Amino acid sequence: MIDSGSTDEALLASMALGDQAAAVVFVRRYQRRVFGLAYSMTNDASVSEEVAQEALIRVWRHAPVFDHRRGSVTSWVLTITRNLTIDALRMRRAVPTDPDDFAASAMMSLEHNPEDAILRGDVSDVVRSALSELPPEQRRAVVLAAVYGRTALEVSEEEGIPLGTAKTRIRTGLMRLRVAVAHVRETEDER
Amino acid sequence: MIDDPHQHVCDEYADNLAELALGILTGRERAATLAHVDACPRCAEELQQLARVSDAVVSIAPGVEPTVGFEVRLFSRMGLTETPPTPSIAPARRRATPLRWVAASPRWALAAAAVVVALVLGLSLGLSSGQRSEGGRHEVATATLTEKGRTVGRVSTYGGANPWMIVTLADSATDGRVTCEVVTANGVTHKVGSFSAKDGYGAWGAPLRVAPQAVRKAEVVSSNGTVIATASLS
Repeated sequence: MIDSGSTDEALLASMALGDQAAAVVFVRRYQRRVFGLAYSMTNDASVSEEVAQEALIRVWRHAPVFDHRRGSVTSWVLTITRNLTIDALRMRRAVPTDPDDFAASAMMSLEHNPEDAILRGDVSDVVRSALSELPPEQRRAVVLAAVYGRTALEVSEEEGIPLGTAKTRIRTGLMRLRVAVAHVRETEDER
Repeated sequence: MIDDPHQHVCDEYADNLAELALGILTGRERAATLAHVDACPRCAEELQQLARVSDAVVSIAPGVEPTVGFEVRLFSRMGLTETPPTPSIAPARRRATPLRWVAASPRWALAAAAVVVALVLGLSLGLSSGQRSEGGRHEVATATLTEKGRTVGRVSTYGGANPWMIVTLADSATDGRVTCEVVTANGVTHKVGSFSAKDGYGAWGAPLRVAPQAVRKAEVVSSNGTVIATASLS
């Protein structure tokens, strides 16, 4: 029986069989996240709606091929959304939000929506916190790469820095986040 | 300490491993790094961990309520034929008259309120009680509605050419017909409109006939004139 308490995987499995009720529950669970990611990247409600709708339609259509061994449902859905948003920005030659603004909106988010908390999980909270502690130049580089899909060369051009420096900022920033996440996992294991 | 000869090889791929995890590595570098990862369990594990962190960076974007009518349009495109009822609420800016009561149940009351508030606030983020935002073209103010010291809802005003006001109630003592009034800085009380609440829940929006900046207080008043809940917007 599918209901609002069903897991993401159960919903996708039912959606793969054409279960419309599961699709409705899934959409209601994810629409804020999907729309929010697109909006954080574009600051444009019209583009965000277009992207969010396309992303959720793709999830509905491709539910049969989702492989949970390759990652979480949340990552899959948000990666689809991110890629569609990048495409939309390129097609429209629109200016994305500044990576500082993206990071600020994420870090200043004081939501306590239980559904969001469940969906985000501890790792996201840790990353949000660790991101706020990164040097600004590393934070920008990581957000440009992870969220906006910028290559190291593009980061170097946009930031006006040598390619080697861009690569170092991306790697060092990501490694620091990685260490923060690993630290939390170790703490959890000790409990 | 024993020097690990493989470590030197792995170090050469350190930058590329991070970029591969972020999905931004291309061309020969990508091919060479993938070949190394394929042969190196340690780097394969590291890549997996970095990819999870990369995914987590994307996931920290705050959730935002989609534009009004989003679900209806989406379900139609998805070809869903058995969609559940959606709050029938029109875009606030297009309405010339006050919105009628929109919610028959607490859940829909809150859902409808969220939709209206998201629309009217222009998807503004991070406003807390009593704050005013001038980041966009229109000024938005929002404040907590309290009933005997207990938070029972929220009031938001929206500026611009056609000012609006949104009130949401949740788990209050309100039931039946109530009136919403605002008190301006000069102490004058203005009636915004009369609405119905059900079992303490409700959400409505209405045009504001006074400048939102002048509003200092909003009140929900019962049919016998008793002030049920108040919100300070000063």
